[in-house]
Amino acid sequence: MFRYIFKKIGYLSLINKHMLQNTKPGKNNNKPISPDLEKNLEVIKGILHSSDLAVHEFNFGHDRRFKGALIFIDNLADKKEIHKNILQPLMYDALLLPMDMDFTQIDTIWKSLISMTDNVKVTLLGDLLDSLLAGAAILLIDGSKEALAIKAGKRDARSIEEPGTEAVVRGPREGFIENVNVNIALLRRKIKDTDLCVEKYVIGEKSKTDVYIVYLRSVANPKLIEEIRTRLNRIKIEAILESGYIEQFIEDSPYSVFPTVSNSEKPDKVAAKILEGRAAILVDGTPFVLVVPMVFIESFQSVEDYYARPFFASAIRIIRFLSYIISTLGPAIYVALTVFHQELIPTQLLISIAEGRERVPFPAILEAFLMLFAFDLLREAGVRLPKPVGQTVGIVGALVLGEASVQAGLISPIMVIVVSATAIASFAVPAQTDSGTILRYIYLALAGIAGGFGVIMGLLATLMHLASLRSFGTPYLWPVSPLNLSGIKDVFIRMPLWTMSKRPKAISRNSSDSCNQDPGLMPAPFKKGSNDSK
Amino acid sequence: MIPNKGSEASLIKKITSSIMIFILCFFMLFALTGCLGAREINDLEIVIGMGVDKDEDTGNILLTAQVVKKDTAGRTSGDASGGGDGKAFWNVSSTGDSIFDAVRQVTHKTGNRLFISHNQAVIFGNDIAQEGLQEYIDFFLRAHEMRPTALILVAEDRASDILDAKPETEKFPAMNIAKLVDTYGFTSHFYEVNMKDFASCLMSPTTAPLVPLVSIVQEKDCMDIYVSGMVAFKKGKMIGKLNHDEVRGLLWVLGKVKSGVLIVPSPDEQGKAVLEIVRVKSKVTPEIKDGSIVMHIKIKEESSLSEQTTAENLATDKAFEKIQEATAEVIRQEIMAAIDKSRELNADIFGFGEMLHKKYSSKWKTLKDNWDEIYPTIELDIDVETKIIKTDLLKKPVSQSEEEK
Repeated sequence: MFRYIFKKIGYLSLINKHMLQNTKPGKNNNKPISPDLEKNLEVIKGILHSSDLAVHEFNFGHDRRFKGALIFIDNLADKKEIHKNILQPLMYDALLLPMDMDFTQIDTIWKSLISMTDNVKVTLLGDLLDSLLAGAAILLIDGSKEALAIKAGKRDARSIEEPGTEAVVRGPREGFIENVNVNIALLRRKIKDTDLCVEKYVIGEKSKTDVYIVYLRSVANPKLIEEIRTRLNRIKIEAILESGYIEQFIEDSPYSVFPTVSNSEKPDKVAAKILEGRAAILVDGTPFVLVVPMVFIESFQSVEDYYARPFFASAIRIIRFLSYIISTLGPAIYVALTVFHQELIPTQLLISIAEGRERVPFPAILEAFLMLFAFDLLREAGVRLPKPVGQTVGIVGALVLGEASVQAGLISPIMVIVVSATAIASFAVPAQTDSGTILRYIYLALAGIAGGFGVIMGLLATLMHLASLRSFGTPYLWPVSPLNLSGIKDVFIRMPLWTMSKRPKAISRNSSDSCNQDPGLMPAPFKKGSNDSK
Repeated sequence: MIPNKGSEASLIKKITSSIMIFILCFFMLFALTGCLGAREINDLEIVIGMGVDKDEDTGNILLTAQVVKKDTAGRTSGDASGGGDGKAFWNVSSTGDSIFDAVRQVTHKTGNRLFISHNQAVIFGNDIAQEGLQEYIDFFLRAHEMRPTALILVAEDRASDILDAKPETEKFPAMNIAKLVDTYGFTSHFYEVNMKDFASCLMSPTTAPLVPLVSIVQEKDCMDIYVSGMVAFKKGKMIGKLNHDEVRGLLWVLGKVKSGVLIVPSPDEQGKAVLEIVRVKSKVTPEIKDGSIVMHIKIKEESSLSEQTTAENLATDKAFEKIQEATAEVIRQEIMAAIDKSRELNADIFGFGEMLHKKYSSKWKTLKDNWDEIYPTIELDIDVETKIIKTDLLKKPVSQSEEEK
C-alpha cells in the first residue's frame, strides 16, 4: 500500500515539474524594438493576430513628416482619452512647437506633448506587449528604437458597496471591489501615513495579475515582509484569478483544515490589521484581501467588537466561542449521549428523547449524518441558486426536513433541534465555517464509534494540531499558547480600548515598546481643583 | 524553487511516516475503547422505580420494575387519549432467587434489557424489610448502572402496590415518590435517605439507619401515596416505626431541620400561635463524667410568626418571650419523644455512638461491646434557645384594636 502511495506522490511531483517548464517565460521578451515602424507593426500583428487590436497610423509634425502609430486593445483603452490627450496634441499641438524639433525622440514627445501621466518608455518587444495587454496605448514612432506606453486604460468598476459576507450594524459600509487600485486608495484613506508601503508584484505567466503587499514599514516585522516576498516570488503559475490562488500557494499548512491566511472585504478591518503590524496582500480582480499572519482567535473577532462598547462586545464574543463549540460538537455530543451515555441525560429529557425516537428506524449516528448532509445540501443549493429560487429551496427544506421527516418518523424531533442549532451556530463564526463543517463530521463519526471517549480523542487531536500550526512565524494559538498577558486582553473578552495600548507582541516589530496609544487614556470626568481647571 | 531529487525523497519519506503514524494512532484508538457498547435509546427499557417484595407462594423475590412506556410517556396529557389506558408506565414484575436473577428474568417480558441508571427509588416491601435488607441491598450498590443517589424507601405493606398507585399530577408513581421525599424540607417530618447514606449507616456498628416509610391512603376515588414516617433498622432488620414528630425530634438533635411548622398556645390562652422554622443550629457534645455518659444538646432556633388564631397582638416583646418559651418546650418535647422511642427500640438513631467514638476514641473500645446496655442509660442535657425574628407581612392581627373601640 505504501509503495502505491509512494508512486502516486512521485507521479504528482513529476507533473508539477512538467507544468513549471510549460509556464517558462515566453520567447518574445528579449527582442528589441526595431526603428522600422512597418516592421514593428507587422511583428506585433503577427504575434497578437487578434481582431480587437487597434492600430492607428498617422503622420504628424510640420509638413507631416513624422510617421507614427498608436496601438491599443480596443476595449481596454479609453478611446476618448487617447483622442484628447495623445492624438490631438501630436497632430495639432505639435505645430505650435519649433519646426526643428526632432519627434523621432520619444523623450521629446513624452516631455512636450503627451498630457497624460503614468507613461513608461519601453525598448523591448516583450515589455511593449505586456503594457499593451495591460491596457496601455503604445506610441511607436518611425525611426525610434523606443516606444512609449501610455496608460490610457479604462476600467469598468463596480461601485463601492457594503460587502455581502461581512455586513455590520455599526461601522463603515464600504467594501473592497475588484479594482485593486481603488482598493489601495481605500486603504490609503484609512492610513494617511508616510510609512504605508505598497509593493507591487506581477504574478501569473498569462494573467499577469497585479499583486500588492501593503504594510506599515515602521510597524510590520521586516522578517515577515521578507518572508512574504520570498513566498510570492516562488509562485510560478499561469494565472491568478482570485486571492484564493495566492493563499493556497503561500499558506504554512496546506494539509490543515484550519486557514492560516485570513481574508476580508472590509477596508477598516484590513487597515486595523495593518496597524497591528500585519501585511495585506491585495490581488487585482477580487474584493477579497489576504492578511498575514493569522491567529486562530482572529476568527472570533469582528470589527464591530471594537466599535461597540466593551461589555456588549465581550458578551457577543463569548457567544461566538460557544457557537463554534456548538457548531462543531453539537451533533457529536448528542450522539455520544444518546447512544453511549444515557445515564448523563436528565431523566425527564431522556424520556422525551426516547419518545421522539420511538418510531425512528435508523441508529442515531445515521440519523445525524442524514440530517447534517441534508443541511449542507440545502446550504449549498441555496448559495448557488438565483435568489428567487433560493427561497423555494429554503421553504422546501424547512417543510420537508423540519416537518415532514419528523411526521414520517424518519427523524426524531430532538435531532432536528440539534441539527438546526448546529446550523445556526455555524454561521456565527464565518472565518471558521469551512473548518467547522469538516470537524463536525469527524467528531460525529468519532462519537458514533466510541462515544464521549471518541469525541475527547478528536478534541485532543484538534488541540494538538492547532498548537502545532504557525502562520508566517506566529503561533496559531497566540496569545493563549504561548501565553501573552497583554494579548489575552482581546481574546475571550474585549477589554476597553484604552487598556489595549500595546500592539500584538508576536506580530509587530520592536515588540516590547510598540504602543498604538498613550497609556492611561481612561476617560475621567472633569474634576474640580485639578490642574486642568486652572 | 524546483525541489531537487534529495528534498523530494525526504518529503515523500516525511509524508509516508506521517501517514503511518496516523494509521497507527487510528488503530490504537480501537484498542483503547474500554466501554464500547453502543445502545440506541429505542433498545432501552428505562427503569424509573423498583420495588422488591417477597413472593407469598414461593418465598422468592418478586421484583417490580417501573418502566417508561416510550410511546405515551413524552406526550402531554391532552393528546394521550390516542390509545391504550393512558398510563405512561408499565410495572413489569418477575421472580427470581436473587435480585439480579429477577432483573435478568424481566427480559423475558420486556424484550429489552432493563436500563436502571435513571432509577429514582427502590422500595422494599414490609416483609423484606422485616427480614433484613442486608442481603437485598448488595445488587443495588454493586451494579455499575445503578446510582448511589437513588432513594431507598420501605412500603407499609407491599412495594408493588405503591408503584401501582397512579398519582393525579405526575405521570410516573416512582417520580411522584421521589418528589414527595424531596419536599421533606417543608415539614422536616422525615428526611431523604439514598442508597449511599443507608449503606454507610449500615456499616456503622452502632448507628441505626432510618428509611422513609410510604403508605397508601384510600381516598374517595383514588389512592394517594404519602410518607407516613420513618422506620428504624438495627443490624439490617426493621425494628420499629417513628412517627412525624419523633423524626423531627431526631432532626432537631442532628441540626437537619430545614423548615416546618410549630404550634404553640398563644400567651392569652385564647388561641394558637403558629410559627415557621427559619433557621436551626444544633451542637451535640458528648461527655463522660464519673462513668456516666451525658450528651449536651444545644439547639438554637429562629422562627417567624406565620399565623395566629387569637385577636391579641402578639408582636410585643412580652408576648414574644412567652411564645419563645413555649416553642422551646415544644421542641424539647419532640426531642424527648424521639429519645423515648429510641430507648424503647434500643436503637441509636442519633448516632451518639459515633460521636463518642470521635471524642473518646480510647474509651470507645470498651463502650462498643456492650453498647446495647449502655445506650438506654445515656443522660441528656437539652438546652433550647428560640427566637422569633419576624412576623411576616402583618404587624398586628386583623381585628379591632383596643384604642379605636
